[in-house]
This record gives sequence, structure tokens and C-alpha cells, in this order.
Amino acid sequence: MPPIINKEKCNACGICAEICPMDVFGVTDNGDIPVVTYPEECWHCNSCVLDCPEEAISLRVPLPAMMIYVEAGNSSGG
Amino acid sequence: MIDIDREPIETDVLIVGGGIAGLMAAINAADRGVSVTIAEKANTERSGSGATGNDHFCCYIPEVHGDDIKPIVKEVQNSLVGGYHDTTHTVKFLEQSFARVKDWDSWGISMKPKGTWEFTGHAFPGRPRVWLKYAGHNQKEVLTKQAKRRGVRVENHLPITDIITNGGEIIGAIGLSVKRERPVVRAIRTKSVILATGSTSRLYPPAGSPGWLFNTAFCPGCTGSGQAIAYRAGAKLVNMEFPNRHAGPKYFARCGKATWIGVYKDPHGKPIGPFVTKPTKELGDITADVWNSVFTDMHKSGRGPAYLDCTETSEEDIEYMMWGLKHEGNTAMLNYMDEEGIDVRKHMVEFMQYEPHLIGRGIEIDLNAESNVGGLYAAGDLVGNFRADIAGAATFGWIAGESAAERAKNITGFQKGEGSAFVEDRAEFYSAILERESGPTWKEANMALQQIMRDYAGVEVRSETLLRAGLKYLRDLRKKVLTTLMADNAHTLMRSLETIDLIECGEMIFLTAMERKETRGLHVRSDFPFTNPLLQDKFITIKQEAGKVQIEQRDRN
Repeated sequence: MPPIINKEKCNACGICAEICPMDVFGVTDNGDIPVVTYPEECWHCNSCVLDCPEEAISLRVPLPAMMIYVEAGNSSGG
Repeated sequence: MIDIDREPIETDVLIVGGGIAGLMAAINAADRGVSVTIAEKANTERSGSGATGNDHFCCYIPEVHGDDIKPIVKEVQNSLVGGYHDTTHTVKFLEQSFARVKDWDSWGISMKPKGTWEFTGHAFPGRPRVWLKYAGHNQKEVLTKQAKRRGVRVENHLPITDIITNGGEIIGAIGLSVKRERPVVRAIRTKSVILATGSTSRLYPPAGSPGWLFNTAFCPGCTGSGQAIAYRAGAKLVNMEFPNRHAGPKYFARCGKATWIGVYKDPHGKPIGPFVTKPTKELGDITADVWNSVFTDMHKSGRGPAYLDCTETSEEDIEYMMWGLKHEGNTAMLNYMDEEGIDVRKHMVEFMQYEPHLIGRGIEIDLNAESNVGGLYAAGDLVGNFRADIAGAATFGWIAGESAAERAKNITGFQKGEGSAFVEDRAEFYSAILERESGPTWKEANMALQQIMRDYAGVEVRSETLLRAGLKYLRDLRKKVLTTLMADNAHTLMRSLETIDLIECGEMIFLTAMERKETRGLHVRSDFPFTNPLLQDKFITIKQEAGKVQIEQRDRN
């Protein structure tokens, strides 16, 4: 469920729902804290995080998108 | 029945998609004194593949490159964007590109963030450098502001689903307002339409995470609608048979590779490509630009995985790279790396080749950005005979804006397209999708399409028999989708129509891939396993006329 809204910090301005390129929040009524209605449609673009005036949103990157890496010089996975 | 707004929007120029091409077209058209409307599926402040930024702007700057444009034309055509250009378009683009760079810089998109015109990355040792490094994080906000300042009407959350023609000329368009839970059909009366819907994602299963449809490098909301709309309206498309694949960090697909400053290495720490051993911001490692399948090949040969190693990059260049990733719009990845403790100074990140998508494959345009349908223009990633990504969108968007505005000036009055049988038929079709109580959702249809595309028009192998079978299956799927698809609100109806557009693009891919009887690039035909020099400068075009598909071959200009 990529965007996570901190309900304590959210001022329900609706900017995140308005600007999300993928419309993951769906329709949000004025004054309501947005709900992530279509979480699997998140593109991880971070627009909601960047544009939230209250810094109330964080992005949880789903497991299928986890970055994979190794220590340089020791790529056996250690 | 679906709600229909009976009050049409009237606008001299309608722009479909408010990305880079659409906004630049809007700005230039509005400067020419005509009324302009952008209909955007999301919100122009943050929509499309350039939503949160970009890294490079391909251009020709005489004071940097010298007065001779020819070596730059050659370099662009040999670069990762250059394979399928009409040279006439490359030249016109390069001639105008610096003017667009200066526009952007004057509006507040920093085109020389380090004080000089800096061409770093995407470059070969000893060759001209054509990729200007810029700081694109605010590009959508700045361009939206410039458009609005000129009186451009921006209709957000209004995807355009079809255009309306009369006697082969544009007279209007149909939009679907998705602002509210209940969708509303809107009619637009216009004199010129510019299609600028970007690249085409969601055609093939995501290569890294097949179950995660929106984990794509380019915007997953860009679904080939421009190509599909154009095709339905009789426009000619070109180069649809050539798959294109982007590359970047494995599994986290919303990224690229050109901003990274490191060396591609095998698991033993040995460089994979021949170009650099000590990475610098000027060169980076361009191996993946020329050896597009490097990560896949390494993996399949068992010699992988392939990593990007930045540990020999200087601290100064690492900082430059992190700055670049931020302005490219990769803040989600940077935050993630911070949280997970992934540090490029000590870790090598695995890279991969992402699934095929369409970019620089699609609508054929002339030097004025016009298609063969009167009043229909196109610019940006959905154009098939030219590609230069952000810079191409900016420059040909600008050209399209001028052409569309000048045409509109010569037409008096609007024609009434709404209420026609075509519009009523579309509205009934949308209603049927909304009214069904059972049936497949868009996601089912999209996944079914993706598996047919992967198996029968994929990048592993294509052949006459596979393509022919795949086309049959695709048409069977389309018939099922058109008659059984179900949606329950504006959002899912929008996704449903996107999926139908994707199926349309899929059909064009099958038909043109059958026609190209050779192996070229990622179009790999097992029954024609060689690249035929006689077909080198031949483009395959496709269009529909009176319900009949016409496929032709033409010489590259």
C-alpha cells in the first residue's frame, strides 16, 4: 500500500489526491482525509510525498519492487 | 445511461495530454492568439513520464558544438533514441532545440544548473556529446504555470477517448470526466487536435514483477491512447513493430540508468563493457545504450547478475550523481535507499532490462507535426518517425502548437460533432460497461493482453506462425473484452478504455511485425534470422481506411 498518510499531520487539503498521476486515492471529498483506494496502481513517483504541505505522507515501496544489491568486492550475497 | 454533459467545450486547439509535448504545444499555440484547451487524464502539475523530473535534454548548441550540425545529427541518430528517425525531422528538431532550451531556462527550469552548458552522461569517449544535463524536477509545475499565464484552459481529469472527424477533417473530440465517482461524457468542438499522450506502458508484463502492473519505468498511466485514437480516426502510424526496452535498477522500475555514474560489472568485479573502467560524470558507462540487452544476456548466459558499481567513482561525482537522481525525479528511490541502508559507495546494485514498451513508435508526422488526417497533429513519445524523449516532446510540441494554431485561424466557426451517431454509440458503449453486473475487470483484460503480447509478439522470438496465432488470440480477446468488460465507477471505466486502447496498439504491433520479414533490433524473427540491408531504410506504415487495414512500406526520409 504505497502512500501512507499520517492522519495526525494531514490537513485534508486534498492536494495528494488531486495531483496523483495514477489516481490511487480515487475521488476524495473536500475536507476528508484521502483514502488510498487503488494501492496497486501506485507508480512510486513520490509526487504526493513531494507536494504534501504538511509532510504527512510517506511511501512504502512494495516487496516486488525491492532493490537488490550486494557488497562491492563480495558479490556472493554477504 | 452514462451522464452526458450537453454543453460542449469550444476551443480552437485541443491538446490531448498535458505532458511536456502538450504543455509546450499549448504555450506556443496560445501565443498565436487562438483559444487552447489541454485535456489531461490526471493533473498537468504531475502527470506523465516527466511528472517529477528528468535528467537529459538532447540538443544542438552551436556555441558548444560548433557551426556544423551534421556530426550532431549523426550522433543523435546513432544514440539510443535515434534508430527510426526521418532525418528531416532530426535536423529540424536539432535546429530548434537550443531555442527551447533557452525558453525553459528563462522560465525557471534550470538548464545549466552548474553555470555552463554541461553535457554529461550518455556519451562515448572522443565523440560529440548531445545530452545536456539539466535539473528537471520542477518542469511540469513551470510549464503548467506558463500555459495558464497565457490563458490556456486546463481541464484536468478529462481523458480524451476519441476524436470526431467529418469528411476526413477534425471537428471535435469525446472526453470522459473522471473528476467524480460517476463518469460524465463531455463533447469538445475544435478545429485542431494535438495528440500528446506519451509513451505506451502496460502492453507487456512488467519484466521484473509480472504481477505488479504499475511497476514500470515510464508512466503506467500512458497507455497508447494517442496511437489508438489516431488509428481509429484513419491516421497513419509507423515503426510499430519495433519493441523498445528501457533498463535500470532491478525490480524498482521507476528509474533509469543514465544518471548513474559507475561501471557495469559481473559478480567478480570485472567490467562488462569496453567503454570505461574509471567512471566519471562526463562519461559514466554507456554500455547499456549500445548493448541494450546486456543485463538479460548476462543473466541468461549464467555469467550474471550484472551490477552497477559506483565504488570507484570519486566522492565529488557521487554527490553529482545523487543530485542528478533527485532532479531526475527519483526521490522515491533515494528515500528507499536511505531507509534500507543501500549506499552506492559500498554496494553494487543489480540492474535489469525492463519490459518492452512503445516510445518513438506510433503516429507518422510531417515536419509541421501534422498527420495524414486534416487537423490532427501529434508530438512527443507517441510519434513513430522521430524520437528524442523530453527534448523531442518539447521541440515538436512547440512545432505542433504553431501548426495547429495557424490551421485554426483559417477556419471560421465550429462544427457540431456531439449528438452524432458516433458519439451516441460511444456513450452507449461506455454505459454498457458500467451497467454490467458481472464480467471481467480491466485488470483481467490487461493481464490477458500482456500474456498474449509476451508469448506471440515478444522479444524472445517472433515468426509468421506465432504472430498469426497471436493475432487470432488477440482478436478473440478483444471481442470478449468489448462485449463483457465491467466497470463500476469513473476510475475503473477509465482503466477499461485504456486497456481497449492497448489492445488496439497490440493489434498494430502484430500486423506490422508480420510484415517486417527480417530481424532488426529487438524485432527477432526466427524465420528471417538476419538483418536485411535492403530493408535498412524502409519504414512500415499502417492505417485504416473504410474499415480496411492498409500496410505499406516507404523509404526513410
